[in-house]
Amino acid sequence: MMRETRIRRLPMALSALVALALAVLPLPTALEMLRPDFLVLVVLYWSIESPRAGGLTLAFVAGLALDVIQGVVLGQHALALTLIAGWATHLRLRLRVFSILSQSLTIFALLTGYQFILFWVDGATGNPVTTFGRWLAPVIGALLWPVLVGTLSRLHER
Amino acid sequence: MVAFRNTDTSGRTSGLLLRCVLYSLLALGLIIVDKRYDQLGRIRRVLSVVAYPVQIAVASPFEGWDWFRESITTRDALRADKTRLESELRLAQFRLQRYEALEAESQRLRGLRDSTAGVTARFVIGNVMDLDLDAFRERVLVDKGAQDGVFVGQAVLDAGGVFGQVARVGQLTSEVILLSDATHAIPVQVNRNGLRTVAVGTGDMGRIKLPYLPTSADVVVGDLLVTSGLGGGFPAGYPVGTVAEVKRDPAASLADVDVKPAAALDRSRELMFVWLKPAAPAPAPAPAHAAPAPASTPAPTAAATALPTHPAGESAKPAKAPPPPPPPAGANDE
Repeated sequence: MMRETRIRRLPMALSALVALALAVLPLPTALEMLRPDFLVLVVLYWSIESPRAGGLTLAFVAGLALDVIQGVVLGQHALALTLIAGWATHLRLRLRVFSILSQSLTIFALLTGYQFILFWVDGATGNPVTTFGRWLAPVIGALLWPVLVGTLSRLHER
Repeated sequence: MVAFRNTDTSGRTSGLLLRCVLYSLLALGLIIVDKRYDQLGRIRRVLSVVAYPVQIAVASPFEGWDWFRESITTRDALRADKTRLESELRLAQFRLQRYEALEAESQRLRGLRDSTAGVTARFVIGNVMDLDLDAFRERVLVDKGAQDGVFVGQAVLDAGGVFGQVARVGQLTSEVILLSDATHAIPVQVNRNGLRTVAVGTGDMGRIKLPYLPTSADVVVGDLLVTSGLGGGFPAGYPVGTVAEVKRDPAASLADVDVKPAAALDRSRELMFVWLKPAAPAPAPAPAHAAPAPASTPAPTAAATALPTHPAGESAKPAKAPPPPPPPAGANDE
């Protein structure tokens, strides 16, 4: 099992890094609203796939990195990602046997929860974002989930 | 597309709940400390250095593409550019001739009034990095940081006018909050009649607004707004925008004024960080009464309200500062 954990760490870190880059990649303003939360999707994937390789730690560290890069209150994304990753880890045995459609629906719920935590922290720290656009990201994220799972599972088969 | 291949489904993830709670508490603690106290500045500065490679890696392909496009422009295009720039420069120099004299005169007058509001001391130019920080906040990352002396609250200009102010400083980079961010406000003055007020962002890069003007206020479409220098954050007299629309609803007590920013908020790639001259005044030897001007910064933006004053603008005496509704000042996030 040790061996397995060690093997997993590399694709884990790599995919998280790529997702982090995608999170700040410049997009035209029209598309900006539609940007899915790549990092959350990746973290969710790894918490479902191999939670023992440190899904929660990955979530916390990745969240912190996102906070620093985006320059928001330190701990905001870390909190949201940790909670969501914990939830996903809790659900993971069920998620594995779901059809890909049900998986996407569950992921949609998780992503909405994630946005809600961000929304709450934004409000609590006095920077409320009230535009409706924020709630689009979960939809796109859920649609993207099958693609992401396909890619990532192929990636770490090697 | 059967996804999950890991056969390790034993169901035990030792102490999941405990670890989840632990990490969450840690994150909550960070949020509170970051919000309430200013202790995390140094940590953040270090962390921002760690984040720098990622930011560079994301931004560089785009910058590389720009560079590539630039390097394959034709000789004709370059020559056309050169002639255009030369004529622009000549025009600018003509204007500057008068400006020098005016500047000296203005400084002397300010010296007489013990007011140094907003005399700029020096500039540093920074480049906007090609990154989207947050879809819902108007911010950009610039490649100048604490290392270059940039500080929080510093005024940032572009070629057209006021661009915004520094919201956060890292070691190598800093975050600039745009005029148009919904949480940003800047004290301004109508250039035509000296009417002071506060311009607030809308979250839309093409538009800011003046929400604190009474319906009877003297603003018309086309008025130029300049910084008033009140509050001490911004240098005085730089263009902020032009009034694009004035809606006066007789039933409301406040007018609804839209302003088009003078700076190219959505296009500028080069920004100027401005250092104001410290409060010690007067290069001119003018004042007879050598009053040791009590470096009183002008009353904060509370003074920037809607009374139509004569341009006695930024008198250094806070005595007359009318008290009314303190609008959100400066960058009111931390």
